[in-house]
Amino acid sequence: MAYVEVDYFQLFKDQQRVGGDAFLSRKVRDENRVISVLSDGLGSGVKANVLSTLTATMALNYVTNHMDIEKAARVIMKTLPVCKTRKISYSTFSIVDVEKDNRVRIVEYDNPPFLLVRNGKVIDTAKQSIKLDNNTHTKEDVLKCVEFKARLGDRIILFSDGVSQSGMGTPEFPLGWRESSIRQFVCGILEREPELSARDLSRRIVQKAYTHNYNAAWDDITCGVINVRQPRELLIMTGPPIHKERDQEMAEIFELFTGEKILCGGTTANIISRELGRPIDVDLSHIHLDVPPTSNMQGASLVTEGTITLGKVVEILESGLNPDSMKPNGAVLLVQHLLNHDKIHFCVGTKINDAHQDPHVPVELEIRRNIIKRIQQALEDKHLKETTLQFI
Amino acid sequence: MIKVEICTGTTCFVMGGAELLMLEESLPESLADRVEIQGTSCMEHCKSNPAGEAPYARVNGKLIKQASIHNVITELKRITGEE
Ligand code: FES
Repeated sequence: MAYVEVDYFQLFKDQQRVGGDAFLSRKVRDENRVISVLSDGLGSGVKANVLSTLTATMALNYVTNHMDIEKAARVIMKTLPVCKTRKISYSTFSIVDVEKDNRVRIVEYDNPPFLLVRNGKVIDTAKQSIKLDNNTHTKEDVLKCVEFKARLGDRIILFSDGVSQSGMGTPEFPLGWRESSIRQFVCGILEREPELSARDLSRRIVQKAYTHNYNAAWDDITCGVINVRQPRELLIMTGPPIHKERDQEMAEIFELFTGEKILCGGTTANIISRELGRPIDVDLSHIHLDVPPTSNMQGASLVTEGTITLGKVVEILESGLNPDSMKPNGAVLLVQHLLNHDKIHFCVGTKINDAHQDPHVPVELEIRRNIIKRIQQALEDKHLKETTLQFI
Repeated sequence: MIKVEICTGTTCFVMGGAELLMLEESLPESLADRVEIQGTSCMEHCKSNPAGEAPYARVNGKLIKQASIHNVITELKRITGEE
């Protein structure tokens, strides 16, 4: 089953605290659908922000509720105010609906055309143009619609004109960063790094556009990437099993898991180390006073301490801050792994406190359960990840 | 070489193990190149012993309770005969 990974990156026009571009996505879990909308409001700043957010929200809601994507577009265009002087619509949009059998439908209105990258090449899709009669607009309104079946590895790239017009008027890009050069740039990156995540690809494109403007944002610069691919799976194992007899079972779960694996917690790591006969090697090269050091063990991508580290992970995930700009410690590394995967399996041991544990330390198991619940929630709601939970 | 192992598990880290990890910078010159410092995951003493004994360290295998930079250095000096 293919996994649809969506992420975006955005820079606001200089001096503006909010963006006039909006990129919103929603996963409809029971239907296995992912809907994304990029909208660009006329102008910049607060007014443009309200318009683009309104447009994107309407589109998301209509399409989620199975209104035909074309009809949704018409309704939105009717609803949107029209600029009195320029007689054009206040915001442009692109809507992408990826359904469970990887059927993709895209409708575009006045945004730069999306790119479909397959096997390292940009594929041209046969778009249907639908003219809309709208006598309040001076220019003709055209919706571009397309439908196709996505294949594993396909990437759909959406961007606002802040990307395609970046550098406009400079000697290098008199007409802006045009589609043909954007294509070249994207294919170049993907040739070198075919596994690049949606998060990283969108950021690279936006940053490149930014450099065209001599490191400034003349307009809001937004790029969203939808990546249809084999899911990247990650196992997070934390806490000792309820009975010692199940240690071996836990080690088996660890051993048989085919994706990447992370161990959180000293006791957990000790159990796996003992059961599989693999030493734990604590890495003291970076010492932080607030997060315990990480360790290495063969077969694990990362071994961290438990409670303190997971507590920091929650903080970072809930804050929505970008871990790439933080000093790397156990928690930051763990968040980076979480964000670079799609399906995250939590295997949580449920052994209760040891009899002698300090009664002033709150019940460890409760904390662990709670933290994991919050991590799951942040991953699903804020980062559109899929998570599963298993107790042992 | 004298081996110092410092527990980096949760309880020990919170109870002062974090500072203890800075031991290397505090070693007197006479000891600096005679000591090898390693981290360990939870030594599991915190599970079975009364609270208040953490953080734990081991110097050449000998367990040090309530380990601090000070008492680890004292033990190191005892071994090298400096004291
Ligand atoms: S945390 Fe150090 S002995 Fe458990």
